[in-house]
Amino acid sequence: MSEVNIAKRKEKCENCTKQCNKKQGDDGANSHQESDEVNGQVHEGSQLLLSACLSCDGCLTEEESLKISQQSLQEVERVLALNKKCDVSKHKVLVASICPQSLPFFAVKFGLDVTEAAHKLCGFLKSLGVQYVFDTTLAAGFSILESQKEFIQRYRRRHHDTHAMPMFTSSCPGWIRYSERVLGSLVTPHICTARSPQQIMGCLVKDYFSKQQKLSPEKVYHVLVAPCFDKKLEAVREEFYNSLLETRDVDCVLTSGEIYCLMEQRKVSVEGPDSVPLDHVLGEAGDVALVRHEGRGSEGFLEHIFKHAAKELFGLDVHEITYKNLRNRDFQEVTLERDGETLLQFAAVYGFRNIQTLVHRMRKGRVPYQLVEVLSCPGGCLSGRGQAESEAGGRVDKALVQQMEEAYSSLPVRLPEVNPALHTLYQDWLQGQDSSQASALLHTQYRNQTQSHTQPPHMQW
Amino acid sequence: MKEALTLVQKLSAHPDSRCWFVSWSPSGTLLASCGGDKAIRIWGREGDSWICKSVLQDGHQRTVRKVAWSPCGKYLASASFDATTCIWKKNNEDFESLTVLEGHENEVKCVAWAPSGNLLATCSRDKSVWVWEVDEEDEYECVTVVNSHTQDVKHVVWHPTQELLASASYDNNVCIYKEEDDDWECRATLQGHTSTVWSLAFDGSGQRLASCSDDRTVKIWKEYPNESGQGDLSWKCVCTLSGYHKRTVYDVAWCRLTGALATACGDDAVRVFKEDEASDPDQPVFSLAAQATKAHSQDVNCVAWNPKEAGLLASCSDEGDISIWRFHEED
Repeated sequence: MSEVNIAKRKEKCENCTKQCNKKQGDDGANSHQESDEVNGQVHEGSQLLLSACLSCDGCLTEEESLKISQQSLQEVERVLALNKKCDVSKHKVLVASICPQSLPFFAVKFGLDVTEAAHKLCGFLKSLGVQYVFDTTLAAGFSILESQKEFIQRYRRRHHDTHAMPMFTSSCPGWIRYSERVLGSLVTPHICTARSPQQIMGCLVKDYFSKQQKLSPEKVYHVLVAPCFDKKLEAVREEFYNSLLETRDVDCVLTSGEIYCLMEQRKVSVEGPDSVPLDHVLGEAGDVALVRHEGRGSEGFLEHIFKHAAKELFGLDVHEITYKNLRNRDFQEVTLERDGETLLQFAAVYGFRNIQTLVHRMRKGRVPYQLVEVLSCPGGCLSGRGQAESEAGGRVDKALVQQMEEAYSSLPVRLPEVNPALHTLYQDWLQGQDSSQASALLHTQYRNQTQSHTQPPHMQW
Repeated sequence: MKEALTLVQKLSAHPDSRCWFVSWSPSGTLLASCGGDKAIRIWGREGDSWICKSVLQDGHQRTVRKVAWSPCGKYLASASFDATTCIWKKNNEDFESLTVLEGHENEVKCVAWAPSGNLLATCSRDKSVWVWEVDEEDEYECVTVVNSHTQDVKHVVWHPTQELLASASYDNNVCIYKEEDDDWECRATLQGHTSTVWSLAFDGSGQRLASCSDDRTVKIWKEYPNESGQGDLSWKCVCTLSGYHKRTVYDVAWCRLTGALATACGDDAVRVFKEDEASDPDQPVFSLAAQATKAHSQDVNCVAWNPKEAGLLASCSDEGDISIWRFHEED
């Protein structure tokens, strides 16, 4: 066999050295691990289960993968342990914010209703040394109000701004990252600039709440309990890092599953912790009655914007929303009609395959919707892989998801418009709904960081 | 051996480049080839020879790895390292680019049409398998994206009669997919090969699946009803052909007309196996019926049986050539 042929043979292995290693024996095993780590799938301890929108080579840098894996139970335990030591300079005030999507998980696991489960969870966290436990529904309220406002603005300029419509919702970090890294300018100008509930909670805690408590933001360690792992990536976004004070708006995201795992590790049963009511960001005393937003577990951006737009643009009061399944359960349409005329047409598009269809139609200019609620996870946020993954792994536990949906629906709905806390905060914290503060703290920007497919670094097949 | 492989014609198909794949049209009258020169060539018979009828040049920006004809013969799909899949429409002797399917993150390794003609499957080095649906207006949309493999997916093939899909991967496994409750899922994982599985072929009835691998073997798998009577499918390896191939087996093709099995190998040979008539269906025995040990001067990448003319076989190679063979009884 000539040298040219040998060289050609080596070139033929698409993973180049891997193939040759494989032929020689088990050396290939190491390179598998390497590539898995880059993809964000760390094999030791808890496995990161990123949504389909994030789990590809193109979307995460090694640095980000590292930062994500550092958001762990060990890290939080380390911070808690430092609080017990004498060196006061290393002490932090621990604040935990719980996503409303996580509470139904605990409700099902504890066998309690959502409010009772929240109290037990709060009791557990406080027994660890967490000082304040909040519900992020408040922050989600801001996100919804700002999204509603932006929608109206975009709608009104739709005839002279080609990027105005459709508007895509912005709460899902998997979707945001996929848009920035892969889809680029086809999609990013259409994404609502309102920050996600998590990001706003970060600001609320590190800016407003810290100031109220007369604490410098870097003395506050903010843990967020979320239904998915993608939220860990969201926490490391550059925009949410204060380089002056070297502090993040959210220091660590833990999934519902990770918290539950912590309870199991410490052999804490549901009877163990005290029932402690959650705290209020505004510092009010008394029990905060748990409420939820519209929709089926993903904060209901589509539903809220739909109702608000119907009223604001057409003077119509919408009481019930009817969903029409298109391609499958995760691709649905909602229409507002009057006298046979279609006034508004919105869609909910969840999951990678449906996002592909949406993007394909965007390229062809065949998207009739004014708003699309886009989420990476089929089934929405309650099905986040940080809480809905079955024990066998790889599949969603459908029975668990159904129970979580029931638990979530059992809470009463309250529109953010009538939440007095939001009004107070707009005034006291942001100096008005249209202030520059509101704009800076409640909105964000997206960057196009697309990589070209046509220039491969090395020959592949 | 009473049979032989005789060379009918050799075509310099993709000069100065690899010829990666060849595919016969459903009518058996045309042969499509594709290669490292980013082009697709369509070959047809004129008298006794095969000549180049069309060249599809500007569809891709990188190597074209595989091509596949739609069951009706009016469309051709091409899978490329440029991460796209192109759908071409046949207009007499010309082909026009109808649409380009995007979405894979990197090199597309294979494309295959379902027997219904309504679905298309693609697979990629990005480890995923995509199923696409075509509507009445020739619009293609993503039906599902399945991530059952942990490495590069090399090949996808549809069952001849059911809406069932199989994929082969660098992770040494074969996955079988079926649609279940609104989405496609991997229903069975066939483990057994000890290295990359390069290609797959169903037999005419779809009851058996042949796989070929870098481990130098060809395995035959048979479907069995699951013991518990429901749920996942159960495929067992009923035969392993080992000791015949000196290097990686890159392709396997199962003739729908005669049941003969052809292989393409990195040892430059093309081989044909036949099943012993008396063999037990649960333990079939395949014997080497004929081989061309120097079929090409370099790796043979693909073999394909003509769907209408029994015994007519095409192969192609790294040296850029296509060879047309006749597998027949020796006089």
